[in-house]
Amino acid sequence: MRRSILILLVALAAGLSLAPAASTAVKIRVVATIPDLKALTEEIGGTLVDVESLARGTQNAHELEIRPSLMLKLRRADVLIENGLELDAWAEVPVQGANNPKIVRGAPGRVDVSRGVPLLDVPSTRVDRSMGDVHPQGNPHYSLDPGMAPIITKNIVDGLSRFAPESRAAFEKNRQVFLERLDEAMARWARAMEPHKGAKVVVYHPQWIYFLNRFGLSQAAALEDRPGIPASPAHLTRVIRQMKEEQIKVIIVEPWNDLKLATRVADEAGAKAVVLASMVGGVKGADAYIAAIDHNVNALAQALR
Amino acid sequence: MRASIVLIALLCLVLTPAVAAAQDAATLRREIEQLQKQLQSVTERLQRLEAQPPAQPAPSATPAQPPGPAAGAPSSAPSAADLLRPRQPYALYQQRGAGQLLFDMGIAGDFVGNITQGNVERAGGGTFAGRENRFFPREIELSLFGQVDPYAAAVVRIESGEEERAAELAVHLAEAHLTLLTLPFGTQARLGLVRNRFGYTNEIHEHDLPWVDRPNAFRIFFGDEGLNEKGLEVTFVPDLPFYIEALAGVFNGDNETAFGRTSLRHPLATGRLRTFLELGDEHAVQLGMSVASGQTEEKNQSTILGWEGRYKYRPEGSLHPLITLTGEALYSMRKTDVGVDQNGDGANDVIDKRQRNHFGWYTGLEAQPFRRWAGGVRYDWSQYPVNPGWEWSVEPYLTFWPSEFLRFRLAYKYTDRSPQTRDAFNLRDASARRVDEILFQASFILGAHPAHPF
Repeated sequence: MRRSILILLVALAAGLSLAPAASTAVKIRVVATIPDLKALTEEIGGTLVDVESLARGTQNAHELEIRPSLMLKLRRADVLIENGLELDAWAEVPVQGANNPKIVRGAPGRVDVSRGVPLLDVPSTRVDRSMGDVHPQGNPHYSLDPGMAPIITKNIVDGLSRFAPESRAAFEKNRQVFLERLDEAMARWARAMEPHKGAKVVVYHPQWIYFLNRFGLSQAAALEDRPGIPASPAHLTRVIRQMKEEQIKVIIVEPWNDLKLATRVADEAGAKAVVLASMVGGVKGADAYIAAIDHNVNALAQALR
Repeated sequence: MRASIVLIALLCLVLTPAVAAAQDAATLRREIEQLQKQLQSVTERLQRLEAQPPAQPAPSATPAQPPGPAAGAPSSAPSAADLLRPRQPYALYQQRGAGQLLFDMGIAGDFVGNITQGNVERAGGGTFAGRENRFFPREIELSLFGQVDPYAAAVVRIESGEEERAAELAVHLAEAHLTLLTLPFGTQARLGLVRNRFGYTNEIHEHDLPWVDRPNAFRIFFGDEGLNEKGLEVTFVPDLPFYIEALAGVFNGDNETAFGRTSLRHPLATGRLRTFLELGDEHAVQLGMSVASGQTEEKNQSTILGWEGRYKYRPEGSLHPLITLTGEALYSMRKTDVGVDQNGDGANDVIDKRQRNHFGWYTGLEAQPFRRWAGGVRYDWSQYPVNPGWEWSVEPYLTFWPSEFLRFRLAYKYTDRSPQTRDAFNLRDASARRVDEILFQASFILGAHPAHPF
């Protein structure tokens, strides 16, 4: 009996001595509000992080349904990466329901990656809801522009390093590797879009301004009457007339938009409706950040031919 | 001679400033001419620049510098010289942006109208008792919410609305609470005046309800205002592979319909367990169980149990749920004082305490095939907490959203009460045993509004 107790105690002591070693191997639990930020955090964190996203790529990130399952993800998070600029303001509700002090507003684990991003569509006049669901701080869809990735990833490195300062060098190294890959891809995307510089496109929802601006395209009109306001027949008639007059060939549609409506308008105007990945995972094959931009550039370049 | 010297000296004194002034004027004139030339040059340059097409940025993974000051850089209020300098059109906006207020504010407006029979109006037996056949502001709410500091968030809601027929509108504090966000072990505390998290419906404000009116069982067991108490509640979310939230609270027990003891010496204790199941990406179910136990004004024990369930089906990629099914049940157990006439003289001789266990429930089904339109029906059945009898009602409705911030709803409600309840709804020689009502609702949101929970 005494011997059994002794063996048990030795085993327990061995287990306890191993526990700290095991805990050092524990990954940083990161939750990102949107899949783009999840994908970029995975590039930076590599094997040191375990990342989940609150929104899925096929969802409308403006108005996510707040499910308690989001609170479950946040309950265990060490770091919350958010897009900011009011795109993911809904995250505040599951954060407060998660009872996790590490990620409440103002905590070191709360990382807003919009810091330092050169914003577009910043209202220059007084804004109100007669303009639709406007973002008073500027257009929040900057992650669609691969040129913003250096700023976003820098903010992610800073945010993760606050939680794990000993891993900053590893994060920085992963970032440089990713940015090199991104630069190579950027050259490829620039070549693909070069023939279409100056082309005008119609969008369903005005969220492509950063992407279009990066490759020298412009947004001529939006199918939504105003941001977030469904289109009226009169507005659609105006858009069709404009598309015919200006010979616009493409309507960009997000996966969560009414594709039938966009196709009908495109048919009327002699154009094509093309579904782009509004976030990573928005369309098949766009499962990583570079893959999503690859899809968007190739699909748009093909539609513009 | 002396006079001449004095005269010359005086002349020098007078003329020197005049000559200097003339020289200054000439200098100034030259400077003005120079500035005019510079201005003209700048204007011409500006016109040339404006005539040019906007430059496209060269594709590169390295972005251009931000147009505004770098985030995190120390900022200061603009000086007069800064304001006069040419600047980007939104520079001033950034100086007085949304962050300056440091908290959010929003206004929600909710107007309802109802049309019913004259006898129902006389008996005061409609859904909006005492306000039958009227159109009125039910709830105009000013909400202020935000972070107090890194450790706490606060909410203050001030409300006004018509509570009695054509009465003056009074403003009152509807909610004011502080939430401590950084407590250890997955806990969080909320204290102040709160809408209690009892079941699904009770916490929801009138303008956010998925129907025109609050379900009958809640109005009957908790009164028109619902359970709205002052005290403290603590939630605990354990770190488990599945979601479960446990809540415990202690309150004054001010609710006159269900409790009313109004003292922490005999407090109202509340509790709730809530869990959530996701059946794939498209189906989700929330289940919960609540309890509220306190004393009535007559010092009798009163306990109400609640059960809730909510199911949503949202097809992949859809902006809204296609099907929502909601149901709740309440079971009230309370002692009441009943006068007993022992000798048959018509007068009560003793007060006897009797147990009254009564039940109420509702279920609602809503379909939203289009982004702007939804239709549904709710069925209610409920007994009364003390009195005998029951009532049931059915309420089909149609909802239209011109935008996310504006909503109209039209409903028809039929209510049937059991014969035992006739006395309770038989005022001024009128009966409200069977009630037909047309209900109308218009709601809007101005400014900030937090996202709705599941």
